[in-house]
Amino acid sequence: MSNSIKKEDDLKHLKPLTSPFEEEMMLNMGPQHPSTHGVLNFLVVTDGEVMHQARPNIGYLHRGIEKLAEMTPYTGFMPYMDRVDYLAAMFANQAFAMAVERLAGIEVPERAEYLRVIACELNRIASHLIATGALGLDLGAITPFLHWIREREFINDLMEELCGARLTYNYMRIGGVYADIPSGLPDKILRFLDHFEPIVDEYNRLLTNNEIFVRRLADVAVITPIDAVNFGLVGPNLRGSGIEIDLRKILGYSAYPNFDFEVPLGKGFRGTQGDCYDRYMVRMLEMKESCKIIRQAIENLPAGEHRAKVKRKLKVKENEFYSRIESARGEMGVYLISDGTDKPYRLKIKTGSFTAMSIVEKISQGLMIADLVALIGSLDIVAPEVDR
Amino acid sequence: MVSAMENAVNAKSHLPVFQYFKNIYLLVVSILEGMAVTMSYLFRRPITIQYPYKMEESIDTVLPPQFRGILEVDLPYCIACLRCANTCPIDCIAIDLEKNAETKERFITRFDIDISKCMFCGLCVEGCSTGAIHHTKIFSGTSHYIENLVLEFVDTPVRPFKKPKSMEDIPFDKSGKIAKNKLKDFFSPPEFVIDHRKGEKYTRRVR
Repeated sequence: MSNSIKKEDDLKHLKPLTSPFEEEMMLNMGPQHPSTHGVLNFLVVTDGEVMHQARPNIGYLHRGIEKLAEMTPYTGFMPYMDRVDYLAAMFANQAFAMAVERLAGIEVPERAEYLRVIACELNRIASHLIATGALGLDLGAITPFLHWIREREFINDLMEELCGARLTYNYMRIGGVYADIPSGLPDKILRFLDHFEPIVDEYNRLLTNNEIFVRRLADVAVITPIDAVNFGLVGPNLRGSGIEIDLRKILGYSAYPNFDFEVPLGKGFRGTQGDCYDRYMVRMLEMKESCKIIRQAIENLPAGEHRAKVKRKLKVKENEFYSRIESARGEMGVYLISDGTDKPYRLKIKTGSFTAMSIVEKISQGLMIADLVALIGSLDIVAPEVDR
Repeated sequence: MVSAMENAVNAKSHLPVFQYFKNIYLLVVSILEGMAVTMSYLFRRPITIQYPYKMEESIDTVLPPQFRGILEVDLPYCIACLRCANTCPIDCIAIDLEKNAETKERFITRFDIDISKCMFCGLCVEGCSTGAIHHTKIFSGTSHYIENLVLEFVDTPVRPFKKPKSMEDIPFDKSGKIAKNKLKDFFSPPEFVIDHRKGEKYTRRVR
């Protein structure tokens, strides 16, 4: 019996491969895979180590937030927006608040706009810390992630002092923010920034300039600028391919026109433009830009009200509006249709992670399985934001 | 010195042999650099806290005053306007009011907050005009039975509070004593209420 098996095996080995796809097999990566950043499933068609296709299979974290909006009053929907993207809840808050304010014709006080900017940029740093740290973690670098988690903990403490919660902030309100900034907090934030900026350089020594890390990311999963636009990438993923689109600059919403900051672009730092390392570097550089914005905002914080007066039962006239902001994961849009009652008729949320999923199938052709992990990590996909 | 070596290596980097040794060199250097950063943390103070065994300060002082913990109701100050129950996005607050037929006085007979459903958003606290409902600094309330997480604040029916003109005079104790008394032990079984009409045992979960 053993002989026959051996013969068959020998024959199989000798048989010439007519097509490169002959040995291919289909594997499930996820939904419980540690490097898929939540519950995501990838149907991977591989031939050995090399993938022919990796198709994202989404929907595991769908919670029907858009449908919930149709049953919840405008003023009570803000806590649900926190849950759209739990790593950067401020942005979802702001996108929804801006949409309702525009439809209801509410003017936000300038101090509230500045406080929103401070909260958002702190949140952007916290989100990018997870993005860059988890990318290292996926590639086997465990220590840098713990360093970043330590820094994020300081931001969480600041947020706790600002709005009372560490993750689901519920800070923004229609017409302003929930509470004025506590008296000692601006100094604390500045002290944190003084501490944080040298830590970024230390982190660069630890991970960014590490040769193993660079070789894992440079020239891997290159997204050309044309592809990036065609697949609708947004935010740092788009800027990693060298296209300068930042809604903070273009739209100048909230108080952003008052601040002086640069938009970091990917320019092939260690490989070709648009590779995983570029996307990583864009996030690292953006954190420093965020620090700059926060410093300016605290310095020029205007006095005044932190919240406009809004009716307790807010009714919005029949209208529609699409508000968009630059979230940590790119453009976050809220398309709101009102029908004259105190509840939205329809709410559609557009998120950056969802569009980033679309390009995985194209870019993953010919990649190694280990590089798929690098690709997903560099795109900074957060599963609840994909499904909503 | 390192840069001089690097320059020398770069100059001949087109040769495969030199590329091979350059790779080994870069790898060793970057690992040593990372080790140096990690090593420096060996001589710094740890930032971790041995919660809850070794705490320099008590948790109440560590948490900021805005902290959104488990809700509690200072019932003598409740004016029974039902604003908190109406603003709650998930209806985790249940308030029942009864009217005495003879004296025509209103009484609060039920004020339940389902902590298992509450998402600590703070919208009810914001709407309260007297500050009777407020967050505490309690954040741990695990229980073996989910029914234990319904905090029933009414022991005996109380009259609604009449709001004076100046609100600053009311002293508020936000230390969380009321909620702490209402939270039950981890293993204590839930108290069942017997519905006499149906003859069934049920618990007062807020639905």
